[in-house]
Amino acid sequence: MWTYEKKLQYPVNIKNPNPAYAKIIMDQYGGPDGELGASMRYLSQRYTMPCGELKGLLTDIGTEELGHFEMIGAMIYQLTRNLSCEDIKKNGFDAYFVTHTDGVYAAAASGTPWTASYIQTKADPIADLHENLAAEQKARVTYDNILRLIDDPDVLDPIRFLREREIVHYQRFGEGMRVLTDTLDSKNYYIYNPSFDRNMRK
Amino acid sequence: MNERMKLLHNYSAEQFATWELHLYLDTHPADKNALRLHRKHSARAAELKEEYESKFGPLTPASGEGCDWLNDPWPWEKGV
Repeated sequence: MWTYEKKLQYPVNIKNPNPAYAKIIMDQYGGPDGELGASMRYLSQRYTMPCGELKGLLTDIGTEELGHFEMIGAMIYQLTRNLSCEDIKKNGFDAYFVTHTDGVYAAAASGTPWTASYIQTKADPIADLHENLAAEQKARVTYDNILRLIDDPDVLDPIRFLREREIVHYQRFGEGMRVLTDTLDSKNYYIYNPSFDRNMRK
Repeated sequence: MNERMKLLHNYSAEQFATWELHLYLDTHPADKNALRLHRKHSARAAELKEEYESKFGPLTPASGEGCDWLNDPWPWEKGV
């Protein structure tokens, strides 16, 4: 189970609403490389991981991603306070507004709703860990792109924090891969599913 | 920064250090130095959490008394 803590992992205090920025950072809320997908990916893959290090790592990073999902939600919320109809039209927020008003909905920057087809559970730890390493890099690239498009320091500060977390998670997943391959036959660990075929699971 | 935000900032910093060490220990479970640092930051975070909650209300559902949990501000509101 999970316990909620009534605080953000890193503070979000945005003084100036900006619906155009909200649309951009929404990609990390419900986009293909966003925080919701990251959390669901790791929390679903963990069941078939073959050792404690990997079960722990996926549980923990999946949990932290939920906290990041909340931070991005808080940013979207604060960027869309007290908007006039003119603000909404001028900033290209009208298409979102007509469907969701100023609510926070999990969609990509393009408006495509979040879908589980962004993630995979393969139950082969090498395949799953490679997906996760790629996911962390893709999220880091999305944050780099967001940083290119935004110049409000109140928005940039938490986005920079989240970008750094992608780098740390990539590092930890790489170490998780090493922990796994150290337990396998170094001559043939890419030709079978070590978790399913060799019964490594407990 | 008011007293509430300052205390929350200090607690968050200790909590973050504890969490970062916890993730590191997932893949380095035998690292004694990391374990020692984890204990240190975890103890400090627990103290600061207790101080925050005694002054400004519950951070977790289990630590509040009844309707204290419902008080503003919520994490997505500014200044949290």
